[in-house]
Amino acid sequence: MRAVLKYTALTLFAIPWVLVPIWLVVVNSFKPAGEAAELGLGLPRTWAIAENYGIVLDRGGYLMGLVNSLKVTVPIVVAVVFLGAAAAWAFGRSRSRWLQAAYFVMGLSILLPPSIIPTVYLLRALSLDGGSLGYVLTMTGCRLGIVIFLATGFVRAFPRDLEDAAAIDGASRPQVFVRILLPLLRPVLFVGSVVLIINVWNDFFFALFLLQGSANATLPLSLFQFASGTLQSLNWNLVFAHVLLTTLPLVAVYVVAQKRVLAGLTEGALKG
Amino acid sequence: MVMRNRAAWLPWALPAIVLVTVFFVAPFLLNVRFAFSSWTSFRAEITWNGLENVRTLIDQDLLANAVTVTVLYAILCMAIQNTVSLSLALALQRTSGINTVFRSAFFLPTLISPLAAGYIWRGLLAPDGAINSFLGVEWAWLGEPSTALVVVAFIDAWKWSGLITLVYIAGLNSIPKSLLESAKVDGAGPWTRFRRVVFPLLAPALTFNVAVTLVGALSAYDVIAATTGGGPGDHTRALNVVMRQQWGQGFFGSASALGFTVTLLVIATAVPLVWWLRRREVTG
Repeated sequence: MRAVLKYTALTLFAIPWVLVPIWLVVVNSFKPAGEAAELGLGLPRTWAIAENYGIVLDRGGYLMGLVNSLKVTVPIVVAVVFLGAAAAWAFGRSRSRWLQAAYFVMGLSILLPPSIIPTVYLLRALSLDGGSLGYVLTMTGCRLGIVIFLATGFVRAFPRDLEDAAAIDGASRPQVFVRILLPLLRPVLFVGSVVLIINVWNDFFFALFLLQGSANATLPLSLFQFASGTLQSLNWNLVFAHVLLTTLPLVAVYVVAQKRVLAGLTEGALKG
Repeated sequence: MVMRNRAAWLPWALPAIVLVTVFFVAPFLLNVRFAFSSWTSFRAEITWNGLENVRTLIDQDLLANAVTVTVLYAILCMAIQNTVSLSLALALQRTSGINTVFRSAFFLPTLISPLAAGYIWRGLLAPDGAINSFLGVEWAWLGEPSTALVVVAFIDAWKWSGLITLVYIAGLNSIPKSLLESAKVDGAGPWTRFRRVVFPLLAPALTFNVAVTLVGALSAYDVIAATTGGGPGDHTRALNVVMRQQWGQGFFGSASALGFTVTLLVIATAVPLVWWLRRREVTG
């Protein structure tokens, strides 16, 4: 009886919290502009699926945004995970004071907000401003800290016997890294990548300052430009179609990997 | 042994150290200089000008309001987010089929970008929108000074609550079952068990979540850009919103000063908070 009550309450909460927002986006992205302006939750009286999504793909710069988002997200995640794991190994095992000081700085970089204005200045000085490369390097530098911090804890909690034994057997350091360290760090690197992918895919603030022109615009940037392009009142049908298409790639990945994502986040997030 | 050679560790950490130094530490240090420098789009030369930027921002009535808005926003966001997430975590703590379905559903908003979340709730909360017609009122949630800031903070909290819930579930599940059992045997009711056993032992997760949500919300921008743009008036004009405006108008030095203010707020919040919560963890 208490369980019935609990799940009824949870369902009643989930309806406005999750279901209605998603439904609003989906159903209004199918309506013509005038009908979507009412922002109702009813089914479309006239359907305008092809028109709306056609416009978003064509004028909304969706496809270019998708390519640009992939072009920055993949390198950032790969760089953060592998460089972070390598650094965590060094920080976890070395007793050098210099490296311990560097580790402390990595920790600070998690807590303190990145300074965006001087970053623009710096990228300009390095002739990297406005483009994807400068953005990738900046995001990598600002997100490495958290992965290093989580992974170093993991390395420290693990005895080094396995690595020593492999070294005695003649394995080189890169071999030990690939064969022993990476498998060992897999749970924490997986959790790190999940949070990182969500973070980078949805980043708007950094992109706004660091990426210039529609040729480099990632999906959030293209959504903002598209929504701001129509003055005063939004074309809700088109904005929602863009929102849906922008969110869809992440949701698709999540649907496939949700068991591992949820298990990883509930079991691996705070350990180490 | 090879593995114990000290110098040999450096190459493994070097790429990360270089990237963090160049793209995080260097901008951080430059910001301290730029915040106190005259630097505009009208005069490319960057010269030291002491507190001139701060004074200008105060004279224009921008700074005090932005700090107040940002701090209120962060507190509201943290309170809403942690209340919702801790409640959901307590309800969904046990790993079972039905709980996994709910966890999965409540995680969905986390996948949505804060910008998109802003547009979605702006639609839901429109004066003639779905929520008002359900409640039978006509209220411009985002247009009225009394509700705009709370609503914007709510949207930010909504977006992140799924992730924070999972961290709380991880924290709850790390509490030894035996402890709860013996408390039950000793006659402690559910509320006493929560207050005396669960809550103190939840300290690491609580520390993490409160710090993360507060610090994250001090850098608020995306949701505001998608909903109010800082309005009505200046009621949701947080520091980063003013920073973007100053930047857009070519006042780069003032923009840096605003960015530096966010940094100072983060330090002022995070250091005592982490210290205090850590102490509670030990003595709790």
